[in-house]
Amino acid sequence: MEILSYLNACGGHRLLTRIPPSFDMSVPSVHLASGFDFSNQIRNNFLAERGIPLPKATSTGTTIVGCLFKDGIVLGADTRATEGDIVADKNCEKIHYITENIRCCGAGTAADTEFTTAMISSNMELHALWTGRKPRVVTAMTMLKQTLFKYQGQIGAALVLGGVDSAGPHLFTIHPHGSTDKLPFVTMGSGSLAAMAVFESGWKPNMDRAEALQLVKDAIFAGIFNDLGSGSNVDACIITATSTEMLRNVEMPNQRAEKENKYEFKRGTTAWKKEEVRSLITSEQVTLIGVGDESMDTS
Amino acid sequence: MQSSYRIVPAHEQKSASTRDTANDLGLHDTLHYGPVSLASNVKTQCAVRDRLENWDLAQDSLRLSMKRDIHGMHAPLRLLMERKLVSADHHMPALPRSNLQLDILMGRDDVLEPADVFGGMETALPLDIHKDMEKKVRL
Repeated sequence: MEILSYLNACGGHRLLTRIPPSFDMSVPSVHLASGFDFSNQIRNNFLAERGIPLPKATSTGTTIVGCLFKDGIVLGADTRATEGDIVADKNCEKIHYITENIRCCGAGTAADTEFTTAMISSNMELHALWTGRKPRVVTAMTMLKQTLFKYQGQIGAALVLGGVDSAGPHLFTIHPHGSTDKLPFVTMGSGSLAAMAVFESGWKPNMDRAEALQLVKDAIFAGIFNDLGSGSNVDACIITATSTEMLRNVEMPNQRAEKENKYEFKRGTTAWKKEEVRSLITSEQVTLIGVGDESMDTS
Repeated sequence: MQSSYRIVPAHEQKSASTRDTANDLGLHDTLHYGPVSLASNVKTQCAVRDRLENWDLAQDSLRLSMKRDIHGMHAPLRLLMERKLVSADHHMPALPRSNLQLDILMGRDDVLEPADVFGGMETALPLDIHKDMEKKVRL
């Protein structure tokens, strides 16, 4: 997970504005604005043509996983957020709420994953109100992939979507350009290789809850300890047909150790010749004049 | 609106360059064509910008074309007429507003998009009610 996205080559900022509709009454614009502000695009293209290099894409790090078990889905994520090679947040949340029975893990640009999942969450709620039914996981998957496909990968969100609905448990991965996979166990992010190795050796069908949770923890551990872009704690989320259980910081393998020594100087290490204590409070002597029985007549 | 079955907008090539406005010396002829601007100087164009700005249009023409093929020419005509009726704006210009009738006719009354969330007063252009009103009533 990366805090800052690179400014993309078009100069498209994440500032979103609405282009005011045309005031020409003969041809009113019935279409909404795109959501991106391209006001710096011409300037940036001009600078690029003059040979000024554009910012490069930074690689992002995360481990997010999900796997199927007997009663539902277990999702897992690490909690490190980076800014380039700096750890920006040691305990961030990467499992996002979509609906009560659907959650989504996000890797890639932090703001993009959060905004995209929040928007899809709102749309799913509207959809649920509209249809009057419990929303299904494929609906969220379709909404997400269509959004991401529209933006051609400029929204850097690699997602693991999981949930249980009337058609059973479903687990999807969604890539930034909008392609999707449906598999019994999935991983995403830079730690996905390490995590997938654990899944491939350890996953079997019809695991019970404790077994599946342990496997997910092991997969995230593999990411945390083998991938530099992932780290800190393990978050997990267990979704079954009846309940959704969010296990925040279910494992904390990287607690900061107590320092073995105290590195403070003992009192009196430095000798002094004289001591002078200066009071910082200025005391003033106030002499009151003309205050007595007869005060000034101000009426 | 032309009929098309495209799902995503077509990518248009930008053709304008300063070559058309150069004089004998190969420089931009300011006296003939006015001051040169960055917009005409830049050759490259952003594909994703065109795509996003024409996205709704492309999807809409697809839907209207399908309607025409299934129900006949009257279906898209009627829909376009209804849209034009409800999008005639009788309210105060320069203020952000919603148009539920239009949203229903466009099929977006049950979706939230970035344009629904952003683009309020704080990001809008500076208000000039008088100018906008003059424009609207064509003074």
